[in-house]
Amino acid sequence: MGEPSWVRRLVAGLGVAVLVFLCLPIVIVVPMSFSSASSLEFPPPGLSLRWYEAFFGDPRWLEAAGTSLALAALASSLALLLGTIAAYGLVRGRFRGRPLVELNFMAPLILPQIITGVALYIFFARIGLLGSFAGLVIGHTVLAVPYTVLVMTVAIRAFDRDIERAALSLGAAWPVMAWRVLVPNLMPSAAAAWIFAFIISFDEVIVTIFLAGAHETIPKRMFNELVLQVNPTITAIATLLIGISVVTVLAVTTLARRAGLLTKIAD
Amino acid sequence: MATIQLRPGPSGVGFVLPLGLVMLLAFNVPVVLMLAWGFTSPKGVLVPWIDMVERTVYLRVLVNTFRIALIATATCAILGYPLAYWLCCLRGRARMIGLALVVLPFWVSILVRTYAWIVGLGNNGVVNRSLLGLGFVDEPLAILYNELGVIIGTTNVLLPFLVLPLFAAMVRIDRRLLMAAAGLGAGPWTVFRRVFLPLTLPALAAGSILVFILTLGFFITPAILGGGRVPMIANMIDMLINRLPRWELAAALSTVLLVATFVCYALYLRIGRAAQPS
Repeated sequence: MGEPSWVRRLVAGLGVAVLVFLCLPIVIVVPMSFSSASSLEFPPPGLSLRWYEAFFGDPRWLEAAGTSLALAALASSLALLLGTIAAYGLVRGRFRGRPLVELNFMAPLILPQIITGVALYIFFARIGLLGSFAGLVIGHTVLAVPYTVLVMTVAIRAFDRDIERAALSLGAAWPVMAWRVLVPNLMPSAAAAWIFAFIISFDEVIVTIFLAGAHETIPKRMFNELVLQVNPTITAIATLLIGISVVTVLAVTTLARRAGLLTKIAD
Repeated sequence: MATIQLRPGPSGVGFVLPLGLVMLLAFNVPVVLMLAWGFTSPKGVLVPWIDMVERTVYLRVLVNTFRIALIATATCAILGYPLAYWLCCLRGRARMIGLALVVLPFWVSILVRTYAWIVGLGNNGVVNRSLLGLGFVDEPLAILYNELGVIIGTTNVLLPFLVLPLFAAMVRIDRRLLMAAAGLGAGPWTVFRRVFLPLTLPALAAGSILVFILTLGFFITPAILGGGRVPMIANMIDMLINRLPRWELAAALSTVLLVATFVCYALYLRIGRAAQPS
């Protein structure tokens, strides 16, 4: 728009200021994690790796990391498997109440997590799953389902149905067609959906606090330590988590681009 | 085609069944049971509800939560609109970098971002040290472990939820509409006020409602940045379950939160539909 140059400069200034505000947490945490001081002083008075040593030298943190990884891997795989099959039914199926079913699958995303946490806490306390690893996996799967259903619905909708029809009319049984046509074509989207679900589970705090009992995950330990005191080891963990996030964003972007390419070829 | 009949059930409902069953057992039933808990007090069906209204502490927390959610939403809108507008004006690589800087924090866990504000907002933190150093204030501002800290943290965490859809709506606007308005003699300010702004209002409203819903149920940020002094609904529910054991009251408060969320979400869907050019 032909706005005067001072307006343009004002908008740019505001935009940059808000971007700085958005990224400030990351800009603060990463240098702090290399601090040599045990107080939270910024900028750090000297550099060291002591907080990384504190993390990797503490068996309790490492055990929490193991639990988090196993939990996220199981929950995201379950959510991907169930979510992909359901997404296929939602896109290709013709049955009554489809929008309602879809809304039901999205509900854990819309509902505040505290409600899911309390509901599962009361329910699991009754049926004896409270504090069990299986209960945690179920809770995290429910939270990851909206993301896998969402991503896979988009992917399947973008996939040309005529290719499925061609395989079937050439004599492939449905399972053979699914395995040799659908699975290879949907793989990049499925990988993106899995990573998405993995991160959701790996970062989850609220439902975990309610269900975990004696199990410790990284976010649960971080949260409990943060409420009590400020421990600089957490800056090291936070930086590692930010690193994982950056790698993940790059991976998902690459996968999404490949998925886009594949659907273009299919067209 | 006979082969298509090989699918489990011609309607495709069979595909939805496994997940549907899991969701029914591990989500729908627990949520319904929790709602029922609100009416199962041994002392009387409505006792938790009467408690909630009579004990002013619960009402105060409810009012407090809605107030904080409103302030955080307004702050997000005021900060998010210029950012989205500026990103929309950028071209090529600059726009990509700007968008990446909005998306990146979105992917970093809320816990990590909230934690950073403890470091940033404390008496010895970056913000206070900068303000002192520049001579804007004489003593450190109290911005941590109070309502202001919670609002700053919440705004920071939720800003991308508003900026991203707003940016998408701004990019979709047909530039020829703006040119037509300018060609008909409108000045830049009039073009913005009478053409651009109205076209982006539905997206702004939808994004704001989304931020509002998310703030209503916020738990981590008030727990950490409020230092226990800024209880919101979610923190209250946590306390009623884990410390006091008063499950029926927790269930009643959860019901209030659930209803508020659904009302806002219905509003969000309506406005979202209006925002989509059919």
